Amino acid sequence: MGQQKVRLHIENITKKFPLKNDTLSVVDGISLDVYDNEFLVLLGPGHCGKSVLLNILAGLMHPTGGTIELDGKPVTGTDPRIGMVFQKWSLLPWKTVMENTEIGPKFRGVDKKTRREKAQEYIDLVGLRGFENSYPSQLSGGMKQRVGIARAYTNDPEILIMDEPFGALDAQTRYAMEEEIIKIWQKQKRTVVFVTNNIEEAVYLGDRIVLFSARPAKIKKIYTNTLPRPRDMVSKEFLELRTMISDNSDLAL
Amino acid sequence: MRKEEKAAVEEVKKITALDAAYKILSCLSILLLFGLWYGVSALYPHLFPSPYIAWQRFLTLLEKPIMRVSFPMHIAASLKRVVIALLFAWGLGISFGVMIGWNKKMDAFFGSIFAFIRPIPPIAWIPLITICFGISEFSKVLIVFIGAVMPVVVNTHDGLVKVQKLYLDVGEVFHANKRQMLTEIAIPAAYPSIFAGIRTSTSTAWMVVLAAEMLGANKGVGFLVVRGMEGNDLPLVLVAMITIGLIGALLAIVTSMLERRLCPWDNKK
Repeated sequence: MGQQKVRLHIENITKKFPLKNDTLSVVDGISLDVYDNEFLVLLGPGHCGKSVLLNILAGLMHPTGGTIELDGKPVTGTDPRIGMVFQKWSLLPWKTVMENTEIGPKFRGVDKKTRREKAQEYIDLVGLRGFENSYPSQLSGGMKQRVGIARAYTNDPEILIMDEPFGALDAQTRYAMEEEIIKIWQKQKRTVVFVTNNIEEAVYLGDRIVLFSARPAKIKKIYTNTLPRPRDMVSKEFLELRTMISDNSDLAL
Repeated sequence: MRKEEKAAVEEVKKITALDAAYKILSCLSILLLFGLWYGVSALYPHLFPSPYIAWQRFLTLLEKPIMRVSFPMHIAASLKRVVIALLFAWGLGISFGVMIGWNKKMDAFFGSIFAFIRPIPPIAWIPLITICFGISEFSKVLIVFIGAVMPVVVNTHDGLVKVQKLYLDVGEVFHANKRQMLTEIAIPAAYPSIFAGIRTSTSTAWMVVLAAEMLGANKGVGFLVVRGMEGNDLPLVLVAMITIGLIGALLAIVTSMLERRLCPWDNKK
């Protein structure tokens, strides 16, 4: 595993928010390498600062200190090579499934025919053929998040960041979506950075699992997960890894 | 299972029965109003005309024009003023609202002037406008415009200021340029607010036009009210009032139909 190519190099990232008389340290000196085409899971208790780190990676927030390099070159602000699947229902309610999906290439000025073909490909991939002209309000939670995934893929990013994308789904849909995201990732390999606070989800999805401490977020331990896919959530090895991580986790406040 | 199915059917029936009850209740309230009117007119027949007399007045109004203008043309005259004023109010109000809602400097510059002008009721403008523009068609439309433009600007401004950060983040992650951020994200996100403004402006415009027509118009529904008052023709006043009510309600329905047409994603009833 050691000689894998590093895509994203995160060096000593810190983030502090100003308070009245003090500062609140949310991310405290995180250094991390993300390898090419790996499925990296960032796992930590709620409000530990992992979402802040992700927003920094996506360019939506500026770090107080530290640098991010993509293929050896520093990244500042949003970058078209880094795509994002958002935490909540971030589909634009006034756009149809097709219009939401094609938003990336549309903003870049790609002509309608080309971008629609591309969007259609990913709408099919996430299993939403036939829903192109539906509005988000007509879709279920799981379907909305599928659109979110198709939208991120259609923009053709090299790094795909996912911020607790299944956090608001019910348990059944969540399992189905976890299976789905792995299938999509195996078909269309991308480097994925996936944030969750769910240990089972982390062990099911991750090639590597980065365990964070409670706020301020610090890396506690990085677990390498070589269990074969598709993973069985009740196999002995799965449960062992799960217990090991869970024993080492901080409780959310 | 059968029992449950039956229960489900019963449930549906209950809902329809309840719906019917709501319809009956809303009809009942109108009937009660008429009953009250009838009762008052029976008690004070010299002061207050009965519904029947008002109906008679309505029929003669249809036959005999007032000031050589037929009854439908009086309505048309008022509506024309309202429509012209509304089109300008929507066009200019939305543009101005977007400008001050999106650009903080513009908001800082115009916001204070606007905060000062907004509380002045449109009717208070009448003397000033009469001095400047006389008793013309233009002054009436201008007064209606002043009344109608305020809610459009306020609501559009509000809608743009309160666009969810998540939507703007989506725009940023997918690299929207400044124009796309405004036209593809911020303005559509503000549509519900903008439409709230449009709805308010429509009802305000219809109310203000009557005041404007009291400036000294020679046609319009507001003119009919004044005419009825001056000529001691109370049945005419009542007919005009009912007309005002009906058309106001109709305008509200048309606006909400327009909204449903233009915002198909908003599938609330």
